Amino acid sequence: MGKTLFEKIWESHIVVEKQNEPALIYIDRHLVHEVTSPQAFDGLRMNDREVRRPDLTIATMDHNVPTSDRSLPILDQTSAVQIKTLENNCKDFGIKLFDINSPNQGIVHVIGPQLGITLPGTTIVCGDSHTSTHGAFGALALGIGTSEVEHVLASQTLWLEKPKTFEVRVEGKRKNPHAVTAKDIILSIIKNIGTAGGTGTVIEYRGEGITDLSMEQRMTICNMSIEGGARAGLIAPDQKTFDYLRNREYTPQNYDSLVDNWKVNLQTDSDATFDKTFVLDINDIAPQVSWGTNPGMTCDVNESIPSPDEFSNGDANQKKGAEKALEYMALESGTLIEDIEIDRVFIGSCTNARLEDLIEASKVIQGQKVASNVSAMVVPGSQMVKKQAEEMGLHKIFIDANFEWREAGCSMCLGMNPDILSPGERCASTSNRNFEGRQGNGGRTHLVSPVMAAAAAINGHFVDVRKLDLN
Amino acid sequence: MKGNVVKYARDNIDTDVIIPGQYLKVHDYAELATHAMEGLDPDFHSKIKEGDFILSGKNFGCGSSREHAPIALSHSGVKAILALSFARIFYRNSVDGAFLLPIEIDQDAYDGISEGDEINIDISTNEIKNLTKNQTYKMKPFSEIIGKIIAAGGLFKYKPDQD
Repeated sequence: MGKTLFEKIWESHIVVEKQNEPALIYIDRHLVHEVTSPQAFDGLRMNDREVRRPDLTIATMDHNVPTSDRSLPILDQTSAVQIKTLENNCKDFGIKLFDINSPNQGIVHVIGPQLGITLPGTTIVCGDSHTSTHGAFGALALGIGTSEVEHVLASQTLWLEKPKTFEVRVEGKRKNPHAVTAKDIILSIIKNIGTAGGTGTVIEYRGEGITDLSMEQRMTICNMSIEGGARAGLIAPDQKTFDYLRNREYTPQNYDSLVDNWKVNLQTDSDATFDKTFVLDINDIAPQVSWGTNPGMTCDVNESIPSPDEFSNGDANQKKGAEKALEYMALESGTLIEDIEIDRVFIGSCTNARLEDLIEASKVIQGQKVASNVSAMVVPGSQMVKKQAEEMGLHKIFIDANFEWREAGCSMCLGMNPDILSPGERCASTSNRNFEGRQGNGGRTHLVSPVMAAAAAINGHFVDVRKLDLN
Repeated sequence: MKGNVVKYARDNIDTDVIIPGQYLKVHDYAELATHAMEGLDPDFHSKIKEGDFILSGKNFGCGSSREHAPIALSHSGVKAILALSFARIFYRNSVDGAFLLPIEIDQDAYDGISEGDEINIDISTNEIKNLTKNQTYKMKPFSEIIGKIIAAGGLFKYKPDQD
């Protein structure tokens, strides 16, 4: 019987596997950042261990770096300590670090692909749940906790239970691909499968709706696999993948022969079977806006907020969750999404802060101004994205429209640095989580695509971007 | 393991409400614990005593990979979480560092156990006894790897079986 792409990558990385036992899996790339690594390095020191493969380990600082003027000292002392600690750890253990002043600094999931560190068929781990992003290149990319970070640092391996396979087939063509984006596809998937729909599985995204996407759009899809509960998301590599990774700073020397090998070995066989399948037809999907406090609580921009009864389909906990979500979000059932007014706009995060995201958002705001009651910011995903955007003049479009144009980092996606919402503030955000307090205590998050966020910034409320001319 | 239950009858308790991002810079576990569940339940620390359990619905611990989440709960005194299901990274983080036990329960246990009930969890028989109500429920047994990591006392103490 044929094998899925996941099974092929898994099997080629088994160090030890016995019947009814977990497998010891070899890790090809380990990405490290300042928040989930300090205790792991402490553990190595306490046990007198080295980093097994410093050459396969790469670090950057993204979660709590300030996105304001980098020539100034970091005011938050606990952040400063965490950043300094990563510098010391990388120095002590011989790990390559893209520090706050590096032109390659950025969100770890943005810089991996753009530097050619992320490669098809590899296993990648990082102490961050959005590691699933790298699956867009056909890599098995897993988010792990700090104990596992220490285990990988020490041994370059992980004990893993073999996940199940989940095919998500995306069929059809979007009528307006500038208005209905990859973000809307993945939010639609999560709305349907639920936030635990992928638990214990690796999703492989397949079908015309996926192969039509650019690499950056595919990263948006795989990034939010974890929001559907999955261990990882995968997309089989194709010519777009191979072209994207060619001639990057860390692209391997023998690239052509690697590509030849990937073309043969990194596809799901036609007679392979998945443990489960979900099919989404995207011919008629709309831009999505989340109204609640998890990424499954989403509806079409032209709809109104559902009642807890409509949302829950008779499930008592779901109903209670929806009631609590509406209370937290200060929203009522029946309110039209387009009538929701916002205070803040955040274009950023590992989900939607790559160059294409900024290009698409800039089209919406060109020649216009942010609504007077809204404050808006763009936080590029990496310093390289920022530089490329500036070379194209995008920063001028944003700044002229009264957006703040910031330095790279995770920023307001998770509220670890000074970029946070005040209690009660409502934000149109291109990030990945609308959990209570995620963007700051009491802050209210609506997850949307970059074009939807940009249009909300200009209008002061959500608008259906299908009505705009975005070509 | 015997203790009392604090029940959160909802699904999708995420790691951002267990320990908000702003505290991920805190390295002192005792201090970290003072912020556990801060957003969800301001009375959490007055309810939880050393050795108690949390009971909740589906997809407990969804979201971020922060190991700070099980650490903050563990250092608040929580010995086990009983939930209808768990998000995968939280589940693994809980046992890797031997912070607390993630115990999957069925609907009978979820419905039967109330806030404040005293229960006894026996992972050798996979039984949960409700001492307050004199009821017994089954817990889902740990998979082989998780059982071995728990028995060893964490990921770094686990050694695979020799042939």
